[in-house]
Amino acid sequence: MKQSKHDLGSTKNEGMENVPMEERRQFLKMGLAITGIFAGGTIFSAVSVIDRVFASSEEFTAQYPYKPHYGMILFQNRCVDCERCVAACAETNHVPHEGYRTRILMKEMPDAVGLKREFIPVLCNHCNVPQCTRVCPTKATYKDPVNGIVMMDTSKCIGCLTCQEGCPYNARYFDEHRQAVDKCNFCFDTRLSKGEKLTACAAACPASCRVFGDLSDKGSDLYKAIHQLERPVWVLRPEAGTKPSVFYTKDTSAVAFK
Amino acid sequence: MNKHCATIAICLAIAMPAVAAENHGGDVVYTKPVKSVLFSHKLHVEEKGLSCDMCHARTFDMQALKAQENADFTMKSLVEGKYCGACHNGTMAFASNTRCAACHTGVKGGGPPRGGKH
Repeated sequence: MKQSKHDLGSTKNEGMENVPMEERRQFLKMGLAITGIFAGGTIFSAVSVIDRVFASSEEFTAQYPYKPHYGMILFQNRCVDCERCVAACAETNHVPHEGYRTRILMKEMPDAVGLKREFIPVLCNHCNVPQCTRVCPTKATYKDPVNGIVMMDTSKCIGCLTCQEGCPYNARYFDEHRQAVDKCNFCFDTRLSKGEKLTACAAACPASCRVFGDLSDKGSDLYKAIHQLERPVWVLRPEAGTKPSVFYTKDTSAVAFK
Repeated sequence: MNKHCATIAICLAIAMPAVAAENHGGDVVYTKPVKSVLFSHKLHVEEKGLSCDMCHARTFDMQALKAQENADFTMKSLVEGKYCGACHNGTMAFASNTRCAACHTGVKGGGPPRGGKH
């Protein structure tokens, strides 16, 4: 894992009062209902949001700011670390062996009752309040205004690695071949823009662990997997306040194999 | 010199019974169709007390890893009661379509299937 060069302990919390009005409006437009309930949103009060979720489901879904709003949900219990997703990603996006756009973390609890190991696939969370784009001095990394993907413009990247420091998910690496920071872009250039419906990782997964789709499409499997109350859904590091478009869940029912 | 001989003798004395006691196939690591699944004979034979015949009569060949050459060595088959699924059916042992990471150790290896002593 990367080491922070700065003494983060001595930095001050900027506090809510310092969030500019423009950013506040952006948050409000973005659907606090969703992030408050389903993504552990921490920036604004989650309590008042709960009422709103149940008060108006129309309002609740109308607030995704992008169309399509690409996102993913990962069924964590289905991952077996076969790493077909990692291999498919590397091949599709020319990721060098020393780099990564997606990885599988392993958690082991030898003293746990029953299952003692689980795998956690991780990738860029395509945050709706991205820290990486905020700190990039050249705007080489930016949030796509149409589909919400956090993109890289490699020609603008100066390799300062500030985005790596800013990312709470360690989702970025410096690619020596591109001479720029590289990261997951949901295969936008290699697949989605060519008419494919899935990312390479989601297409390669043999266990239906990765469900990719459009968060703003009520008919999508992704939408249905997130907007329900029967199974917990969470995001990684909600305390970072980044409002990810990548969600996690576990299903207790048996896995269906095709 | 004598000291060395004594050390070797002691080592052999300790090692010999251990080798003799392992009258099963040890760990078998399947890599097809996905990497990797660790089957532990120690867990199934020594700890669970299964006899060789329970699996090797019909379900699995004595030759290790022969099953993974078959085209139907898939999770779908297991759920339908073939291979591991003959016992891992939810009645005799946990069902094949649950608790994936109990057997799947992944590309990184991950050690014994249930995290016990090995």
